Amino acid sequence: MRLPDFDLHYPTSLEDIQGLTKKFLETGEDFDFIAGGTDVLPNYKNRLNPKRQVISLSKVQGLNKISPNCIGALARVRDIAAHKELGIHFPGLVQAAKLVASPILRNLATLGGNLLLDTRCYYFNQSEFWRASKGYCLKADGDECLVVPQKEICYATYSGDLAAILLVLNAEFELHGPDGVRKIPARAFYRGDGIERFVKKPEEVLTFIHIPETQSKTRGPALKTAYRKLRARDTIEYPVMGVAMGLKTEGDRISQLEVAVTGSEAIPVWYGDLGFNGERICQDTAEGLKKALLNRVKTYKNVPFPPGYRRSMAGEFVKELLLTLA
Amino acid sequence: MNQTRTKDTGSSTGNPKESFGNTLRFLTLRVNGSELRCAAPPKALLLDVLREEFNLIGTKRGCDMGTCGCCNVLLDGQAVPSCLVLAFDCEGKEIQTVEGLSVEVDGHLHPLQSAWAHSGGSQCGFCTPGFLMTAKELLEHNPHPSRDEIAEALSGNVCRCTGYKKILDAVECAAQQLQGISQEEER
Amino acid sequence: MNHPHDLPNQKHSLIGKRIPLIDAFRKATGQAIYTDDIKLPGQVVGKILRSPHPHAKILSIDVSEAENIPGVHAIVTGRDAENCFGVLPVSQDETALAVDKVLFIGDNVAAVAADTEEIALRALGAIKVEYQVLRPFLKMEESLEQVPEELRLHPKTYDGTNIHKQVEQDFGDFDRAYDEALWKKRQSFRFIGVTHAFTEPMCTIAFFDADERLTVWSATQVPHYLHRALAKVLEMPMHRIRVIRPTVGGGFGGKSDPFPHEMVAALLSRKCRRPVKILFDREEVFYSNHGRHPSKIDVALAIDKNHKISGLHVDALIDGGAWGSFGVVTAYYNGVLANGPYKLPNFRYRGRRVYSNKPPCGAMRGHGAVNTRYAYEILLDEAAHDLGLDPAAFRRDNVLPPNTKTINELRITTSGIGECIDRAVEASSWKDKYGKLPFGHGIGIAGGFYISGSALPIHWDKIPQSTVHLKVDLDGGVTIHSLAAEIGQGSDTMLAQIVADVLGLPIDYCRVFSEDTDTAPIDLGSYSSRVTFMAGNAARRAAEELRKALIQAAADLSGYPPEVFILKDEKVINCTRPEIQVSYREAVRRAMKDCGALQSSGCYQAPPMGGKFKGAAAGLSPTYSFQAFVVELSVDLQTGKPKLHDVWAAHDCGKALNPLAVEGQIEGSIHMGLGQVLCEEFAYNKGNVLNPNFLDYRTLSPMEMPRVHPILVETCDPEGPFGAKECGEGPLLPILPAVSNALFDAIGIRFYELPITADRIWRALERQKKSSATLV
Repeated sequence: MRLPDFDLHYPTSLEDIQGLTKKFLETGEDFDFIAGGTDVLPNYKNRLNPKRQVISLSKVQGLNKISPNCIGALARVRDIAAHKELGIHFPGLVQAAKLVASPILRNLATLGGNLLLDTRCYYFNQSEFWRASKGYCLKADGDECLVVPQKEICYATYSGDLAAILLVLNAEFELHGPDGVRKIPARAFYRGDGIERFVKKPEEVLTFIHIPETQSKTRGPALKTAYRKLRARDTIEYPVMGVAMGLKTEGDRISQLEVAVTGSEAIPVWYGDLGFNGERICQDTAEGLKKALLNRVKTYKNVPFPPGYRRSMAGEFVKELLLTLA
Repeated sequence: MNQTRTKDTGSSTGNPKESFGNTLRFLTLRVNGSELRCAAPPKALLLDVLREEFNLIGTKRGCDMGTCGCCNVLLDGQAVPSCLVLAFDCEGKEIQTVEGLSVEVDGHLHPLQSAWAHSGGSQCGFCTPGFLMTAKELLEHNPHPSRDEIAEALSGNVCRCTGYKKILDAVECAAQQLQGISQEEER
Repeated sequence: MNHPHDLPNQKHSLIGKRIPLIDAFRKATGQAIYTDDIKLPGQVVGKILRSPHPHAKILSIDVSEAENIPGVHAIVTGRDAENCFGVLPVSQDETALAVDKVLFIGDNVAAVAADTEEIALRALGAIKVEYQVLRPFLKMEESLEQVPEELRLHPKTYDGTNIHKQVEQDFGDFDRAYDEALWKKRQSFRFIGVTHAFTEPMCTIAFFDADERLTVWSATQVPHYLHRALAKVLEMPMHRIRVIRPTVGGGFGGKSDPFPHEMVAALLSRKCRRPVKILFDREEVFYSNHGRHPSKIDVALAIDKNHKISGLHVDALIDGGAWGSFGVVTAYYNGVLANGPYKLPNFRYRGRRVYSNKPPCGAMRGHGAVNTRYAYEILLDEAAHDLGLDPAAFRRDNVLPPNTKTINELRITTSGIGECIDRAVEASSWKDKYGKLPFGHGIGIAGGFYISGSALPIHWDKIPQSTVHLKVDLDGGVTIHSLAAEIGQGSDTMLAQIVADVLGLPIDYCRVFSEDTDTAPIDLGSYSSRVTFMAGNAARRAAEELRKALIQAAADLSGYPPEVFILKDEKVINCTRPEIQVSYREAVRRAMKDCGALQSSGCYQAPPMGGKFKGAAAGLSPTYSFQAFVVELSVDLQTGKPKLHDVWAAHDCGKALNPLAVEGQIEGSIHMGLGQVLCEEFAYNKGNVLNPNFLDYRTLSPMEMPRVHPILVETCDPEGPFGAKECGEGPLLPILPAVSNALFDAIGIRFYELPITADRIWRALERQKKSSATLV
């Protein structure tokens, strides 16, 4: 399959990028950023909202460094998965990175690309021919959602693995744009439906992901983190349900609990402690947590596995994570 | 009912709209130790260039979506599906294809290649070049992988013939051979 | 072991040896040339416009705008070639491109040849097609309805319905057996479709040249059938058509029909007189499908008071999709191939294959036998469980003996089913495990049998099913000409091994030329597990002819009688006085002396067999393979996800000509069968294939694969080449029910619908928790 035609730009610095985006904003030309390409290129091949101008980030320097508290957006998922220091401080992040797609895709995929992953849906991730024969959907070329028929909201599924754990860690996303630099907490970053997805403006570049030092082992007891992912095979596939947890305990009680879910709604969702802070950690609490999450997670019939099962697995996973992390 | 919608479809199955202007640029790639050049459009994928411009047909087109690994090549030593890599992104990088494996050992078979043949790792053989590249990356980073580690490392490659058993056998066998070679070199 | 093909004084040098496939080095270096690797001078790109509707009448096609696009060389539509074709002479219901109606989303409507893919796609977009949408038939039950003529998918259907083929067979007295049974059960099973998912997408190049000859390069398992179909569709004599089969990247039945895109490439090339290549996107491979039929199979099983199987009733409704393909055979196989590996005295069958508005189904590894096998083996397991019998011992007590006839008159010669069960049971420590593993962990067994080539060919024209020619060079090199298609299964190696072994030569003396209809004698191709048995026998006979000539030459040179000579180590040796030797090359030169060319030919035709009733030919084979598998697995009770640990796979292959290759077939069959039982689904959303890609059509990765322990059982079939039988399809059959039976042992739940995905297991476990009932 061939890509559509586009002009390709190779900025080497953030300044270059701003020059380009400024020009495109002026001329009104649509543009996309591309990093690893594992999400953008399949979508382009399927003619899913391709843009005329493509800005490759592959030659931009300095955005792939990894340190426990700051990770460049162009860091390869492969390198995050193999990073010893990260593994010590944020085992859940490394664990999630190891579960992204397959080894050959992790070699290309970047942290930023995974966080900004386009949403997925049976009616969206199809070829132009397929979508034309079915009837185009709201997210690409059509005006009605085919999952929940109406014309306002896109019910695709967010399917990145790394966002949930970064929500748990209360990470901040650093954005560079024409108006300067801004940092947005991950918990405020994801907004809207399957089309809107986040608050980043098209011309802004996601540059760094900051994880507060308070979450790492360097200062006192760290937030213990872990991630569980549901998919049919142990490789290649996106999460059809993913649960991340951060936990701090005092004695046998929960002193901090952070739960986030991916593979459910159009954005990854941070649920906080679900009202369980201070609870004693035991089977009953775990059961209660399972029910609490299960009742709040929403799933739709738009990716593999029945929605009910995916919801149930969110419950199973959160229960298991609590008991294993404690 | 008329098919009125006209769009650029990319796939072979639909109706394309008027294509954008498509300028060719000069592309220089370092492949298997040689510097190769061609003119290519910005949208050229590494797979297209390798197969169509450089005639390196050992790299196979299987799924076009990075889900089968038949088109894997090494890009700066890492196995990647060349169907998901923009050719121009590869300028300045080292590319190795299956044809380069034997270049590396003076035209002889690379231990992985002979292990593949002797272990029955190829049946139809269409997935073999991609597997070889992934396996090469694995053994360079982990010369003594366990069977589970091999399975994990190769899990982005699809083989429909072998059930993978003889592929894992081949990688184990090559690891042993390479170990022997490196021991000999130490002596 | 004394086999009729063995010579008394000669040990085999290559038969039974574990050797690399002769094309393995080419494949491991990227030197093997597949169709898409070929680029001819002047070659242009062919693309097919596909139907966006599952069922519609074509009112008009306007290509005028597309024709005027610069770079477009030819456009064809259905009207350019209306002759029907199909793999079976009895259901020729396909055309190169749709003529009046489109029958599924993805059906072929028109095609363009152009300088580049981009131009071809633009031209497709400029073709205007006017459709009148018709009611689609998407559920197989709907196809049973009587409908007006315009809603019938093809002119020839049953009784005004969309039933393509209906067969009924009745042997013995099933009703009585069922009435008198000690144990009996009726159960309905449902199977979703699955597809081959070979890694190489379809690709064809056609070139109609200045001599008005057509050459077609295509990734096909059946060059001979393609040759015939091209002749019919293009209305050209076969001698003006040449079919070349480059290296094929997997088939499994999915490349065993002549295909519309092959006709289309030829038609385009005839129009523009340039080579035209059509390469499919992965999505188009799914529209080509020809995979396993989805089916609904009702089975009734009776066990008598002696714990013997006394009756089986199978009623299969199978969804054929848009075209006939191999469907008539499939309709029979769903019942006929339940007549082994156990003795069955009373058997009743009804099979109905319907047309529907979906991509066509056809032959896929284990063709026709897989789903019924699953149903049968599940009920056998239930019977054993209910009767308090060990399911392995129960099966063992019911096996078909060798040299017998089934009730439907299948001729059984050698049978290793007993030994297969015994060895799988022993290797797996079955007796220590069955019924004794903790909840969530289980072990299961199932058996199977499969044809080793169909005894009756598709075309009833009395030509041998396989012929092999040998040509010897001056230096003794042997070129083997055959049309048996090497598709990765190792048939080229098999031919070379047999010929070299008979002639006492190292294998590298043999070159196999099996890709070209211009040079090869007829062979029906690589399907129905026929190649080792049939082409192998033809090669053996051709080599024996050569051996005779070389021995005569040695006799002439040495003055000893021919009877004393054998061929060994590149020599013709007098075995009564081993110092008397003639070198192989000397013998070759001498043999060439009077005739110039040293050549030979051998062929194979199955002997007459079978009953006189309607459909008696279906399922007949010169011999059958047998197998018994034991599976051990566990279930993650939290998620329902099954984890396969071990498969002990005992397979009676007659004689393993090359154990490395036989194991490869067993291991590959298990992978494919595990996919069908656990996770593969050819899924639909109304008429659209829901998952036409390798992300969502899920074949198992190496991480899900169990440890597979192949156990080769050798019964030395007297008619197989050196005793060999098939090994490419039979080993798929038992894996599905063995997994399901192991799941029952693990969690006490039976599954009557495939695939058994994690969510289904989980839901069943939840239901089990809520009630004490164990059936789902």
